[in-house]
Amino acid sequence: MSKKGAVRLAGVGKSFGQTTVLRDVELEIRPGEFFSLLGPSGSGKTTTLRIIAGLEIATEGAVHLDGVDATLLPPGDRDCAMVFQSYALYPHMTVFDNIAFPLKMIRTPPAAIDAAVREAAARVRIDHLLARRPGQLSGGQQQRCALARAIVRKPALFLLDEPLSNLDAKLRVETRVELRRLQRALDVTTVYVTHDQEEAMSMSDRLAIFMDGRIVQIGTPEEVYQKPATVDVAAFLGNPPMNVLPARLAAGEVVIGEARVAAPHLAALGTRDVMLGIRPSEIEIGAGGVAATVTLCELLGDDVIIDLDVGGLLVRAKASGRTRVAEGERVHARFDPDRLHLFDRTSGARIAA
Amino acid sequence: MRPGAARAAMRGAALMVAAGLLLAVWVVPVALTLLTSFKNEKEVLAYPPSVVFEPTIKAYGAVLTGPTNIVPNLMSSLIVAIGTTLLTIVIAVPAAYAFARLRLPGKKPVGFYVLATQLVPPIGLIIPYFLILNRVGWMDSYRGLILIYLTFSLPFAIWLLVSYFEDIPREMEEAALLDRASRWQAFWHVVLPQARGAIAVTVTFVFLNAWNEFLFAVVLGGATVKPVTVAMYNYINTEQTQWAQLSAAALVAMLPVIVLGILAQKHIVSGLSAGAVKGVSRR
Ligand SMILES: Nc1ncnc2c1ncn2[C@@H]1O[C@H](COP(=O)(O)OP(=O)(O)OP(=O)(O)O)[C@@H](O)[C@H]1O
Ligand SMILES: [Mg+2]
Repeated sequence: MSKKGAVRLAGVGKSFGQTTVLRDVELEIRPGEFFSLLGPSGSGKTTTLRIIAGLEIATEGAVHLDGVDATLLPPGDRDCAMVFQSYALYPHMTVFDNIAFPLKMIRTPPAAIDAAVREAAARVRIDHLLARRPGQLSGGQQQRCALARAIVRKPALFLLDEPLSNLDAKLRVETRVELRRLQRALDVTTVYVTHDQEEAMSMSDRLAIFMDGRIVQIGTPEEVYQKPATVDVAAFLGNPPMNVLPARLAAGEVVIGEARVAAPHLAALGTRDVMLGIRPSEIEIGAGGVAATVTLCELLGDDVIIDLDVGGLLVRAKASGRTRVAEGERVHARFDPDRLHLFDRTSGARIAA
Repeated sequence: MRPGAARAAMRGAALMVAAGLLLAVWVVPVALTLLTSFKNEKEVLAYPPSVVFEPTIKAYGAVLTGPTNIVPNLMSSLIVAIGTTLLTIVIAVPAAYAFARLRLPGKKPVGFYVLATQLVPPIGLIIPYFLILNRVGWMDSYRGLILIYLTFSLPFAIWLLVSYFEDIPREMEEAALLDRASRWQAFWHVVLPQARGAIAVTVTFVFLNAWNEFLFAVVLGGATVKPVTVAMYNYINTEQTQWAQLSAAALVAMLPVIVLGILAQKHIVSGLSAGAVKGVSRR
């Protein structure tokens, strides 16, 4: 199968009048990839997706689709299908007609339309609802209908804008798996917008992290999780996110307020002010280490999230649910010295360690 | 009975009474006209008005087939009203859509101008319009009267339709565009069907206004263009008023409006329920 759906954004920027919402976006999405655009609300993910779709025109830079400059190409000529956050189903048409619409627009013969619509609907398990109108569907069924409409034409590129955000938590997790399976089965390049890091981490081949209209990091879920490029990415990923504390490197030790953590392997970095990052799961309670006071325990079933007061700083630890600590108790917290992340105090950039 | 239920029942009854009173204001004159139209000349003038009498359809005969029948005038009214309505819709729908969607320079001032024309009292325009039509030689012509009606109906229709178009999410059209629809196809298949109710409302109002119009028709019309509102005066003259004929003519003139109301009602209701569906799929 010839793979289609390569996307390249070269120095893309976008301004609406005076306000610049995207800057210097450099992105390369490979054919067949499941690629996520992840970032907090307002960071420019939807705008980027709409630029790929041709619904917005980039004010800077260029968009290449399968090696062709598509910067000014109208949406209909890009061979991409999109699922909007609002689904944008046509309320006056039945589910069948909604799904058939893209095929009608390319003048598919009626018999072929019928077969294709039934196949697409069956893939997302709404083939029993074809006669209904969107208003008579549940949120999950509407979402499937929008998916079916997008896949029916077998586009080269599949664009999804927070397609799961209107579903309840349980359905969201189920659909996540299904969506990923569907993407594998269809083998179609997919650009997936989400602000839910768990979604992006679990589904993507690679992802780009957006902050304030810029891409701050691109990589596999593992890379961005293990080596966050900036302090903002570090604080954005993980549940609960990484602890970020002002600290000082001095002679092979990390000094956090009064507390000291021995880290001889960092001695080469000299003496300097840094931001220290440590994941809650890399903090061990009770086995020596810095003195801390438990301020809050939050049991989440298998795990417990323990809020610690370390010399006036809030530090979260994640431990096994069997850990018995009481609020107000004095404990010791051991920071795994090999799992410390260091960031420049002023720029927030990762310091190679 | 629970106190809440009693209060609800009371409220229901009060609403019914209020609605009944309001309805009476509209129904009583029509009912009286209906009675009068079936009376003969003597009973018409009887005082107190007779309620029990031998009905006759003589008045209807005179109005529909007599020497002063209003059939040509009904035709005249139909031409003016249908012409005005069709032209209004054909122009106002795309105009309103453009106002609602496109990023046009000067959209605000033009929008204000459209609305401002609705604030000018018609009586103030009648002499200028008379002079203009006279100058271009369109007095007593259908194109003349329709043109004048358009100056009122178009701004009104555009203003009414814009808000409906603005309520249709842009994303629906964008989805259509991505699925290879042309701008025109997106409008035709996605936007227009959802605006059906709004268009039905607009048609009803514009037709009604054109059909009922009297002031401009009497001044700018004449022998060729003489709508039924003007022709009604055939039955009022200095010596006497032919009440039965006048009533019959009035009722006949009401018929097309009633038919339109019934036809449009279905579409208006379906337009409303389509709106409800739309709400579900919006974020
Ligand atoms: N048409 C527009 N005109 C002006 N500003 C806009 C427009 N569209 C988006 N913006 C601005 O651009 C920024 C990025 O918007 P965008 O919709 O891309 O964010 P997002 O990352 O998708 O956020 P969310 O997760 O909330 O959907 C926001 O600050 C938004 O206000
Ligand atoms: Mg968005």
